[in-house]
Order: sequence, then C-alpha cells, then structure tokens
Amino acid sequence: MKNDDLVICRCEEVTQADIKEVISQGVTRMNEVKRLTRAGMGLCQGKTCGRLVTGILARETNQPLQELKPPTSRPPTRVLPLGILSRTTQDDD
Amino acid sequence: MRIEDHPILGKAERGKRITLNVDGEAVAAFEGENIAAALIASGRRVFRYTAKRMEPRGVFCASGRCTDCVMIVDGQPDVRTCVTPARDSMVIQTQVSRREGEATHDLEKEKD
Repeated sequence: MKNDDLVICRCEEVTQADIKEVISQGVTRMNEVKRLTRAGMGLCQGKTCGRLVTGILARETNQPLQELKPPTSRPPTRVLPLGILSRTTQDDD
Repeated sequence: MRIEDHPILGKAERGKRITLNVDGEAVAAFEGENIAAALIASGRRVFRYTAKRMEPRGVFCASGRCTDCVMIVDGQPDVRTCVTPARDSMVIQTQVSRREGEATHDLEKEKD
C-alpha cells in the first residue's frame, strides 16, 4: 500500500494506514473517522489534515467529495488559555 | 539566514537587537520578528518533539495554522512561534508533548 505510512494528521500523528483501517471496519462519515482515529482533534483542530482526511474517506468509500459533511466544529476555533475564558465570565457577572 | 531585500516586500526593517534564551543558550534576534524566524536564522530546525513517536518537528505552515512550531515560551506551552513576536530575554524551551500524565513536559525534565 503506497504512502500508507504518511502522517496525515500531524498534531495527533495519525497515518493514512490508521485512517484506512477504520474505514475498512465500516466507517463512512467524517465524524466517525475523527472519533476513532483522533485525526483533527489536536492543537490545530483539523486545519491541516481536514481536506486530506475527507479525500481519503471519499476515495476509499466511493462517496462524492461534496456529499461528505465535515466533522462537528465547536468553539473556540483556536487554542486559548483557560484563563481568558474565566476572565470573560467574571466580567459578565 | 535572513532575507535582507525581498523582491516584493522591499528592504527589511529590523527592530533593535535582542537576545533570547533558547534551552539555556543565548540566541540573537531582532525585536518584533517572529520567534521562529530568529530560531531558523540561528540554525535551529527542531522546535519540539511529538507525543506518540517522539519525532522532531519545526516550522511547517509558517502562518499560525498548523501548530507544528509550538514551543514553551516564558513557561507557557503550545505557543505558536511562527506568529509570536520576539521580545528581549524571552525564555524559550523545546517542547515535548506526551499523551499520558501531564500534557506537556519540558525537555530537561524528560531527560531525567
């Protein structure tokens, strides 16, 4: 299998082989790939690997790329020290 | 190596000369340039080691997105050095991330 040792998600160190493995177990959605492999759950939150993972899933499962929904996004969109959020709460009170 | 005269951006405007403390060594920098630029100019390529495989990482996207260049800056881990301006006497450490236990260890503790 060519390039299967390539690191796809750099933050969580998930390889193409890791992603293909969960797909071979029946995974068909981005959220499932994310939760099983942790691809996209690291510091950068999938900014780097998101498109690559989508491409692999589409190719391996013969789904059209545009029909694959991205995994659920939740705020904050970038890494924040918790202190910033706690200060905001205090200001609101 | 630094680009002194960029074909589009023109001549570089440098801040004053400052010194960073990088893993205990003095590294020359210009105030306001990003930390990563100073480290690359000083010949450093390894900024951190990964959690799973302990592989070296450095600058990848150089635009603040990928978080490959994060280091411990003045005690705070996960600081993106490619978008963080250098200030005099900053203490910068190679970051070693680990999955179990604490999220982040500094390299010196890791060696013990």
